[in-house]
Amino acid sequence: MNYNILTYGIYLPIIALIMIKVGWMFYTHGEVFLLHLYKQDNTIVKPINNLLLIGYYLTNLGYAIITLAYWDKVHNLTEMLNTLSEHLGNIIIGLAVLHYNNVLCLNYLVKSKKVNQYIKSTH
Amino acid sequence: MENSKIIIGYLIYLPVVILLTIYVSKMLFKNGKYFMLDIFKGQEDIALATNKLFEIGFYLINIGWALLILKISYYSASEMSLQTLIEILSKKIGGFSIYLGVMLFINLFFFFRGRRKSRQGNKKIIKTPVYNVHNEQ
Repeated sequence: MNYNILTYGIYLPIIALIMIKVGWMFYTHGEVFLLHLYKQDNTIVKPINNLLLIGYYLTNLGYAIITLAYWDKVHNLTEMLNTLSEHLGNIIIGLAVLHYNNVLCLNYLVKSKKVNQYIKSTH
Repeated sequence: MENSKIIIGYLIYLPVVILLTIYVSKMLFKNGKYFMLDIFKGQEDIALATNKLFEIGFYLINIGWALLILKISYYSASEMSLQTLIEILSKKIGGFSIYLGVMLFINLFFFFRGRRKSRQGNKKIIKTPVYNVHNEQ
């Protein structure tokens, strides 16, 4: 049993837990925005939300797994902690950037929808 | 057996990839049904048929690609270690999972596009122009 395999064994559950938790929170809270965008049309919002969640899981977990292939060799416990924190930190920051991007996009969509409605109501 | 690790790798890779494809396409087309019904304006037979055809295409493309990238090439005099196996598998399964996610988003994009087109089609009805030739003479 070398240190690399041990590190993989610690890394994978942690990252899976974080991603699933975060994705689930996006799923439940993003539904409100989607409902707003699609005029409370529940039959179409549910499928969209489900598909977005699955796409999120696939791409993110895939990326988290694929980074395993490019790790350096871990020799001792300190190096293990270093690499673990480095990789976890990288992925969590990536998630945060994506998340802010998503929020900005949603905000933009909701705003543009409001502007469109305003233009329609004045004409 | 000199390369038994590679065979173990294949035996882990294949079930994971095939189960992943089946699960994703089941979820995608269970949800895609509502899009199709929306696109075809409630004509259930044609919507379900289109959905099924898309599903078959999705299966074919993805399982074909999964089999195509199956081969593990490992050239070394020494026996493959467990760590190398895990790293190779992570590259393959992770890469396939990202690929599957991208395919899912492409399909979703098609659904949205179809829905938008069918909405636009509602508004303008294109009529074939009729020229009355006989009256001109």
